[in-house]
Amino acid sequence: MNRSRKFVIGACLLVASIGYLMVAGLQTSSSYYFTLAEFLPRQHELGGQGVRVAGRVTEGSLRKQTSAKGTEMRFTIGDFVGADHVPVEGTVPVAYTGVVPDMFDEGRDVIIEGKLVDGTLLAHTIMTSCPSKYEPKPGEKAAPAEQQQARS
Amino acid sequence: MFELGPLALNLGLALAAYAIVISLLGVWRRRRDFVASGEHAALAVWGCVVVAAATLLHALVIHDFRIEYVAGYSSSTLPLYYTVAALWGGQKGSLLFWLLILTSITAVVELQNRDKNRDLMPWVTTALMTIAGFFLLLLNFITPPFELLAVAAKEGRDLNPLLQNYWMTIHPPSLYMGFVGMSVPFAFAFAALASGRLGDVWIRTTRRWTLFAWFFLSLGNLFGALWAYEVLGWGGYWAWDPVENAAFMPWLTGTAYLHSVMIQEKKNMLKVWNMVLVILTFALTIFGTFLTRSGVISSVHSFTQSGLGPFFLWFLAFALTVSVGLLLWRLPMLRSENELDSLLSRESAFLFNNLLFVGIAFAVFWGTMFPVISEAVRGVKITVGPPFFNKVNAPLGLALLFLMGVGPVIAWRRATWAHLKKSFLWPVTCGVGAGIVAFAVSRNYWAVVSFSLIAFVLATIVAEFYRGTRARQALLGEAAPLALVRLMAKNKRRYGGYVIHLGIVMIFTAITGTSLFRLEKQVTLNPGERFTIGDYTLQYNGLEERDTPHVSYLMANIGIFLGDRQIDTLRPEKRFYKKPEQPTTEVAIRSSRGTDLYLVLGSYDEETHMATILAYLNPLISFLYWGGATLALGTVIVMWPAPVAAREPAYAPRAAEESAPS
Repeated sequence: MNRSRKFVIGACLLVASIGYLMVAGLQTSSSYYFTLAEFLPRQHELGGQGVRVAGRVTEGSLRKQTSAKGTEMRFTIGDFVGADHVPVEGTVPVAYTGVVPDMFDEGRDVIIEGKLVDGTLLAHTIMTSCPSKYEPKPGEKAAPAEQQQARS
Repeated sequence: MFELGPLALNLGLALAAYAIVISLLGVWRRRRDFVASGEHAALAVWGCVVVAAATLLHALVIHDFRIEYVAGYSSSTLPLYYTVAALWGGQKGSLLFWLLILTSITAVVELQNRDKNRDLMPWVTTALMTIAGFFLLLLNFITPPFELLAVAAKEGRDLNPLLQNYWMTIHPPSLYMGFVGMSVPFAFAFAALASGRLGDVWIRTTRRWTLFAWFFLSLGNLFGALWAYEVLGWGGYWAWDPVENAAFMPWLTGTAYLHSVMIQEKKNMLKVWNMVLVILTFALTIFGTFLTRSGVISSVHSFTQSGLGPFFLWFLAFALTVSVGLLLWRLPMLRSENELDSLLSRESAFLFNNLLFVGIAFAVFWGTMFPVISEAVRGVKITVGPPFFNKVNAPLGLALLFLMGVGPVIAWRRATWAHLKKSFLWPVTCGVGAGIVAFAVSRNYWAVVSFSLIAFVLATIVAEFYRGTRARQALLGEAAPLALVRLMAKNKRRYGGYVIHLGIVMIFTAITGTSLFRLEKQVTLNPGERFTIGDYTLQYNGLEERDTPHVSYLMANIGIFLGDRQIDTLRPEKRFYKKPEQPTTEVAIRSSRGTDLYLVLGSYDEETHMATILAYLNPLISFLYWGGATLALGTVIVMWPAPVAAREPAYAPRAAEESAPS
C-alpha cells in the first residue's frame, strides 16, 4: 500500500503539472471566436484584443495593391450563413498584408484572425473555406445548395 | 449498372441486422449453428459492400455524371488515379470506402477465427456488425452515394484541386485503415467483457490487429503532415488543426495501450486500464470522424458542414454507454493480480508513460474542443491556437522521450542503484555531452534539453543492440552481423520495438530542428532582384507560363546561389485548375544535407511581374521522412509472423483450452 502511495503521489504531481501547463497555455494563446452576428454588437468592447471573426467577403469590396511590402488587401466582411445563422445588417472593414490564400475571393466565407484597431480588423491570418467540399447545410434543401455551389 | 449499388447497400443493411440478431440468439440459446450463420452473414455483408464500392468506382471511371457524387467530385479530364481517389474524396464516397475497409477487416477476422475463440466470436460479430450497420444506415438513408441529379450533368465539377496530389492517394486510405483497424481490439474487448472470458486471450488475439491499426494510423498521420508540408505552402507540417488533432488523439491512446498491454501480459496488472484505453481509442476514432464531418469546430482544411454530426454523436454515446456499462459490471472480475513494487521499476516507467500519453491526448482534446467548452460555460467561443498545443505538449513530449530511454532498460519490479549505474552511466554521459554541444552551438535551452534526451535515448538503444549482439557472439561464436540479425529475428517484439523507438527519436530530431531553428523570409521583388536566406542567395528571374487542358501553370523562376555559384533553379508555381476555377499554390523544395529550402510563390502583379516570394529554411526536416520510414520498418519487424513451427505453441494451446473445438 505504501509503495503504491508513492506512485499515486507521483501521478498526482504529473497530473497537476499537466493541468498547470494547460492553464498557462490557455492564458497566452486564446482568442475570441465570433460570427459576424455576434461580433457586430460588441465590437466596441474588443478594441486591441485578439479575435477570430467568421464572415463573407462582400461582393465588390476587394481592393488589392502590390508593392515592395507585399500585397495589401482591403475589403469588408458581411453576413455569413453559418450553422446557427442569424441574419445581420452591417459590415466590418478588414486590412491585410501578406500572402493571399488561394481560395480567397469576393463572396467566399472566411475566418479572419487579427486585432480590431479603430474599427478596422487588422488581419494576420485569413482562413478560407473550400467551396468544392461544401455539403448541403442542415435545414437547407439539397437543391438550392447545389445551385449555390455551382455559382461560386 | 449503378442500380446495383443501392441494392447492395439495402441488402447489406438487412444482412448486418440479421448477423447481430442471430449471433445474440446463438449466445442466448447456445446454438453453434446460429453463431456460424452470423459469421456467414458478416461475410455476405462484406460481399455487398464490395459490390457497392465497385459500382461507385465503375461509375467514376466511366464518368457517369447522372450520379450526383460522380458529378461533384470528378470530371472527364481528371487523371485516372485521381478519379479512383475521388472514391474517398467526398463525404459520401469516403463513408462507403470506410465501410469497405471495416467489412473487409471483419471478413478477415471471421475467417481467422473460424475454429478459434468460439465464445468470443458471436460478440465480436455483434460489435463489428453494429458498427457496420451504423455506416450502412447512414449510406442507405442519410447520405446515399448513388443519389441521382435531377438533370444529368454534362461535365463534373471535378475533385478539389488541393486533393489532386499524390499523397491524396495514400493518406486517407492509411488513416482510414488505422481508424477502422482499432475496431478489432475494441470488438474483442467488448466480447471479453460481454462473455466474461476476461483472460488475456482477447489481448493475444488482437495484438497483431492493434499493431496493424497503429501502423496505418502512424503512417496516416505522417502522410498527412507531409501532405500539408508539400501542398499547403506555409512552410510547416503540423498546425494543430482540429482535423489533425482528430487523427492524432486515437494515435496517442492507441500507443499508450500498446505499452500498457505489455504490463498486463507480463504482470497481470492494469486490466481495467487496458479496457479503458481500448474503449477510449475506439471512441476517439468515431469522435474524430464526427469532428471532421460535423462542422462543430471550424478548421482550415475541413469546412465540410453536414447534418451528419448528430448521428455520430448518438452512435458514440451508444457505444460508450454499452461498453462502459459492461466494464463497470465486470469490474470485480478485473482485479489486478500484482502490485507495484517500486517507483524505480519498469512497471512504474510504463505507468508514467501511459499517464503522459493520456495527458497529452486530454490536452489536445481540451484545446480542440475549447471553443465548444467555453461557449457552454461562459457563453463565448474562445479558440486556442498552436502556441497552446506547443506549450503544453513540448514538455510532456520531452518527458515521454526521457521515459523512452528509461522504460526498456530499467529492471522489472525494483531497480537497484548498481543496476541503474550499469545501465545508464554511458547513455547519461552521451546525453550530457550532446547537451553541452547543443548549448555551445545554439545557446537555446530547449535545444539543449531536447538534444540531450535524443542522445540519451539513442545511446540506450545502441547499447541494447550492442549488448545482445555481444552476448550471442560470446555464447554461440557467431560473427557480429549474423549475431545482430539473429538477435532481432529471435526477439522481434523487443528489437522491432527498439527500431520503432529509433524512428520516434528521428522524428523528435526533425521536430526540434524545424520548430527551433526554422528561418522564414517574405520578400516582394522585381525580376532580376536578389535576397538571401541562410547560406543561400536567391535571384528572381521572372514568371514563366505553361498550359494543359486540365490545368495552367504560372511559375516563378528562381536561381539558387551558394556564394557566386549557381547550384540550382527552383520554380514555385501557382496552378489554375479549370473545372472549379481555382488557383492552388505548389511549393518548390530543395533538400540538401537534411535541410529543406522551401519556396512559395505568394502573389504577383500581372503587369509589372513583381512577385512576393516566401522562403523557408527547415533544418533537420529530412529526419521526419527517415524517421517515418524507420518507424514503419520497426512495426513490420514486430508484426512479422513467427515461422510456422514456432507459431503453434504461441497461442494455440490456450485458445483450445478456452474454447471447445467446434
